[in-house]
This record gives sequence, structure tokens and C-alpha cells, in this order.
Amino acid sequence: MNEVMSKTIVTAKDGDKIISSVAMIVTLVSFGMLFLTLMMAFAMFRITAPVWPPAGMTRPDLFLPTLSTVMIFLSSFFYTKFEKNTVAGNVDRQNLTATLVLGLAFMLSQFLFWNHLKSQGIYVSSGVFASIIYAFTWIHAAHIVAGLGLLVWLYSALKSADKMTSVKVSSVGKFWHFLGIVWLIMFVTIFVL
Amino acid sequence: MAFFEQEIHDAPTTFLSKYVFSFDHKVIAKQFLWYGIAFLGIGGMMALMIRWTLAFPGQAFPVIGTLLFPNTNGVVPPDTYAMLFTLHGTIMIFYAITPILIGAFGNFCIPLMIGARDMVFPTLNMLSFWLAVLSALLLLVSLFTPLGGAAGGWTSYPTLSTLIGSAGVGQTLWCLALFVLGVSSTMGAVNYIATIITLRAPGMGYFDMPLTVWGLWLTAVLNAIFLPVLGAGLLLLTFDRVFGTTFFLAGAAATSGSGDPVLFQHVFWIFGHPEVYILILPAWGIVSDLLSFFSRKPAFGAKSTALSMTSITILSTLVYGHHMYSGQMSPLLTQSFMMLTMTISIPSAVFFANWLGTLWKGSLRFQTPMLFSLGVVFVFGLGGLTGLYLATVSTDLYLHDTYFVVGHFHYTMAASVLLGGFAGTYFWFPKMFGRMMNEALGKWHFWLSMLGLNGIFMGMMVIGHAGMHRRIYNPFVYEFLQNLIPLNMFITYSALLMGSAQLLFVYNFIHSMYKGPVASQNPWEVGTLEWTIPSPAPHYNFAEIPVVKCGPHEYGNPNLKGKDFQYQTEELVKA
Repeated sequence: MNEVMSKTIVTAKDGDKIISSVAMIVTLVSFGMLFLTLMMAFAMFRITAPVWPPAGMTRPDLFLPTLSTVMIFLSSFFYTKFEKNTVAGNVDRQNLTATLVLGLAFMLSQFLFWNHLKSQGIYVSSGVFASIIYAFTWIHAAHIVAGLGLLVWLYSALKSADKMTSVKVSSVGKFWHFLGIVWLIMFVTIFVL
Repeated sequence: MAFFEQEIHDAPTTFLSKYVFSFDHKVIAKQFLWYGIAFLGIGGMMALMIRWTLAFPGQAFPVIGTLLFPNTNGVVPPDTYAMLFTLHGTIMIFYAITPILIGAFGNFCIPLMIGARDMVFPTLNMLSFWLAVLSALLLLVSLFTPLGGAAGGWTSYPTLSTLIGSAGVGQTLWCLALFVLGVSSTMGAVNYIATIITLRAPGMGYFDMPLTVWGLWLTAVLNAIFLPVLGAGLLLLTFDRVFGTTFFLAGAAATSGSGDPVLFQHVFWIFGHPEVYILILPAWGIVSDLLSFFSRKPAFGAKSTALSMTSITILSTLVYGHHMYSGQMSPLLTQSFMMLTMTISIPSAVFFANWLGTLWKGSLRFQTPMLFSLGVVFVFGLGGLTGLYLATVSTDLYLHDTYFVVGHFHYTMAASVLLGGFAGTYFWFPKMFGRMMNEALGKWHFWLSMLGLNGIFMGMMVIGHAGMHRRIYNPFVYEFLQNLIPLNMFITYSALLMGSAQLLFVYNFIHSMYKGPVASQNPWEVGTLEWTIPSPAPHYNFAEIPVVKCGPHEYGNPNLKGKDFQYQTEELVKA
């Protein structure tokens, strides 16, 4: 009997759901403004430059950024499945672990990417295009690290499996998907276009 | 409407949980108040040093001068002067006004005035305060670094703020301090917005909220949206300084691949103009309420006051370009920004007229909070009107970066916010500490401050119009400014008067905390929810969550018998 109880997650109260949605939306607006400002800076440099990339710089190879994109897309996909199961009341550690592993793989691909840039002779101080690539990926990666911390924290939420669990899962999910969207926008605008 | 009822927690018992790491919004509010008052003192001393240098160049700063600047026998050195005006601005805006108006009154008033037992996220609230403390430490540490604190102005424009302009680690610490403070304020903002949306007492619609809560709410919205913009700018500036990126380095962007210093100005003012309203909106809210409370009349057009504050909030996001008229902006853009800026006059005039309408034929009670509120009406009117000359491109090109600008923004941002903050402090002191502040001292404090600050800022406008630039160490090396020395001396004497008047406040505040007459539950005879509970407010605020039945400004209702106000928990008395 006890085992059955621990396998189901209690449905959240409406009040808790609304409060955390309101707070999470406001938080994401804040984070969104941070990245929007960065994108504005990028747009300004991009639009005012007669040639892009400027100063004879070469574009970085697209392979690693594309790999990152696939990783973060898949991790969001597994998170959606995980969240669906949680709201239905099931403890689903497999999909959470899949999300976490893919998130770590994303970070790994970023490290490889930074190393790759260095091996190509593109350093942080090699002009504004390099500045943009490094600074934006750093800031995004710092948020990914925070997101990975939240994913690890969710294991303890799953263990307690109380009425706040599904609220926590959906809040962390909003943040994780948000970071995926930010990466996608950065990938398309900075690397592809 | 309340989505749920918060539980009553046990009262904290240990010293640490009661006074230091407290989850209670009222304790956090008091912590913010002390924090803000301490920095108000530091920032004020810096202002006095700036004023002393401008009035008596080359003379030692009295009393503590030789202690602070031993190498120059007490004279403020030129590099220190740049640091002083930078940190005076930074400290007053981010470490004095923000904690007092938003941190202290936001935390104290929001739950009490909407009938909640605490903020919706008490832990986040505590974290917000301790991050602010961390930020203050970063800023104070920067003063003791080898090349001193930041000296690029509070706007920290590149190239003044890149490694070329300020090589020391002080500017980097300044960036980090403001970034941490931004995170702290954003946390507070998320908390305020969520609290006001979800925890209003049953029956309280948005227009039944006191205007104080409206002001704080709009402030929180602006904070949540625009502090991250500054955060992004500061991050990029820090990267420029520490890792060698080239976002803000001057140079031809296309050919050499370096950055653009003007980009920082854009980012800064996209944040910076809403920040002006972030600072003033809580004061507007407080004053709108207090004018009604002490005129014993319903707030004239309370709904339109709330709506005009909302439209100012929206408009404030669209006008930032008026800070950059002299930055070689296209005339088409300057004209557009001028139009938008002028448009702000309309909602401003609406609520200003509402203030006057509230006062008209009221039975005014000239107690200290009311005096300070009337002071805000006066100084904000002056500050707002002088803004028109700065919004107009043709006059701004002449007045840009003169003391006229300094006078203008001190009237709007410093004088009105300071007076509004004092009004709030005198008003909510009984609910915070359970004792009354001394009325006579409060009135002396008001009149001396009012005299002092008008002397300072009116004087600044005159010397600015005469052509004196801001941020100059010794303006009198220029011949055409030499006959402004007497006026500058007058301003400095006014500043000394204003500064010493604050000693009255500090004495009154601390003395009344322990020795003031014990306050009754409702000493001002006001009907908002915080006055339905004992003074000082118990840790759970409301033993029973109140049900709101009427608006916050029900005064002088002719159908009322025996008293001239009614509580928000009472049914509106009809004929």
C-alpha cells in the first residue's frame, strides 16, 4: 500500500499553481529582457556593419553549434514527457535523467565549441564578432548551469512527492524550455544568418 | 482576490530568526529602512564634500577632511572628486532611495494594505535583502582598492568606464555590485507582483487597493522588466574590463571589428529612464494616499490617478532618447523622442490636478506626514515643469550637462522622493514600532529641509542656466564662471542647513523608537487595512483575513454618524 502511495504525486492546489505561474512568468520576462538586450546589441552591430563578419573574421564551423541545438531540443522533448507523467501522478525518473544527461551533453558541446574556436585562433579579444559569440554563449551557459542545478533539485522533489511537486516540475520546465528557445534564437541569428 | 489563505506561523524566538534572518516582511522592511538610512548618511556626506569643493575650492573640508584626505591636508583631490560624484549618485539612487521606498515601504505596506499575512515568497524576500547587503559590501570594498572606487559618473559611460578611462578594479566591483543589486531588486519585484496579484483580501479589486500599493506595483513591474537590461549592459561592460571583449571599445566597428561606446548609452538609458519612474512612483502613490487621508476627503479621481500612473509607466519605456540629444542622434529621432516625452506631461498633469483636487476644500490636518506630502506637491511641480525645457531639443542642447539638469533631476528624483519617503516614515512609524514620532521636531525637520533643499536645487538651476557645467572639479578656472562663486557658496550653505536638519530626523527616529508616546491602533484616523490591527503589527498581521467592502479613501461621508472616516472592512454607509 505504501509503495503505491509513494508512486503517485498529489495534485497541486489551484492557488499554488496560479501563484507559481504568475511568479515564473514574471521571472521569465526578466530573463527574457536580459537576452533581448544582448540581441539588441548584436542587431546593432550586425546592421551597422557593411560586411559581416567584420574585420576579415571567418564564421565558426556550424557543426558543434548544430550539435548543441539538437541536444537542447531533445532534452526539452524528454522534459515534456517527464512533466506530462508527473502531472498524471507518476514518478518518472527516466525522462528526468534523460533531460539531465542531454543538458550535460549540451554543456560539453559548448566546451568543445569554445576549444574549437581557440584552436581556430578566435579568442575573446579578437574583435566584436568573437566578443558576441563568447559573451552570449557564456551568459547562456551560466543559465544552463543554473537550470541543471534545478533539474538535480527535482529528484528531491520527486522523492517527497507532495502537492508542490508538480508545481515545481512545471516551473522548472518553463525555465528549461525558455533556455532552449533562447539558444535556438541565438543559433539562428548569430551562427546561421 | 486571495487565491488561498496563508497560515499563521509561530512567532520566531531566537535573536537570529527574529532580527537577522527573518522571513517576516515587516522585519525585512525595517532592515531595508536601516540599510537605506545608513546609505543616505554616506551619500549625504559625499554630497557635502562635493558642495564644499565647489564653493571653497582649495580649502580643506572641515572637521573630517584631514582624516579622509591626509595627503592633501584635507582638500578633496580631483580624482577623489570624480569618485565622490559617481558614488553619490550610485549610492543615493540604488542604495538609499531604492531600499527605503521600494525595499522598506514595499515590504511593509504591500501585505498590510492588501490584507495578507506576509509576502507570497518569504524566503525570496529574505534572500533579496541579503543580496542587497552583499552588493553594498562589494561597493564599499571598492573604495579601498588601490585606485579607489568607480569614477566614471553614475551613468558609467564608456570610455570613462572601460579600462582606458578607469584602470582600477573599483569600476569592475561597481559593475558587479550593481549587477547583484539588480538581481536582488528583481527578486523583490517578482515577489511584489505575485503578492499583489494573488493575495489581495477577499473583496479587494484592483481599484480598491490604496494608491500606495498601485505605485509600488507599477514600480515592481518596471523593475522586473528593465533591471535586466542594465544587468546585460553591466555584464558586457564587465566582460570588456575583465576578459578583453570589445563591445564598448571606441573605433570603427566595421573595419577594425571593435565595438561602439554609444551602444552602452542606449542600453543604459533604456533602463535608466524607467528607473527614474521606478524611484518616483512609490512616492507618488504614498503622497496620493496621504493627501486624501489628511484632507479628510476622498482622493479626487482616485481611479484616474491610478490609470495615469499606469500610462506614465508605459510611456516611460518609450522616451529614453531624450537623454542622448547631444549624442549626434538623427533629428528625426530627437523630434520623435521629444514628442513622446512631452506626451508624459498629459498623464502627469492629470494626477497632479487630482492632487490639487483632493486638497481643494478639504479640512486639512497639518501633521508632519501631511507637511511632507505638501512638500512633494511643491517640489515635484517645480521639478516636472523644469523638465519641459530639457525635453525640448532646442533648449536641451544649451542646457545639456549643466547644473540645470542637476537641479531638475534632484527636484524630481531626490527632493520629491526624499520628502515622500519622510512622509511615509512619519506616517507608518506607529505601525512599525508602536510609538509616535515627535510632532514638533518633525515640523522643524520639514521646514529646515524644505528651506535647505529649495536653496540647493533652485540655486543649481540658476547657475546651470548661467552656464556652469556639472562634474567639473574647479569650475572657477574659467573666467566666465568666476562670478558664480557667491551663488555656489549660497548653495553650499543651503546644503549644510539641509544636512544638519537631518540630524533632527535621526534623533527623532531613534529617540521615538524607545521613548516616544505609545501609539494607539489608529493614530491618524485612517481607514486602510493596516490600521485595523494593533500597533505595532503582530507577526501574523491579521488574526482573521479581512473582507474588504469599500475603497481606501472614504472620508467625510455626510451619512456617517460620529466619525468622519470608515474602515475598508465596513460596508459603505449610504443615505
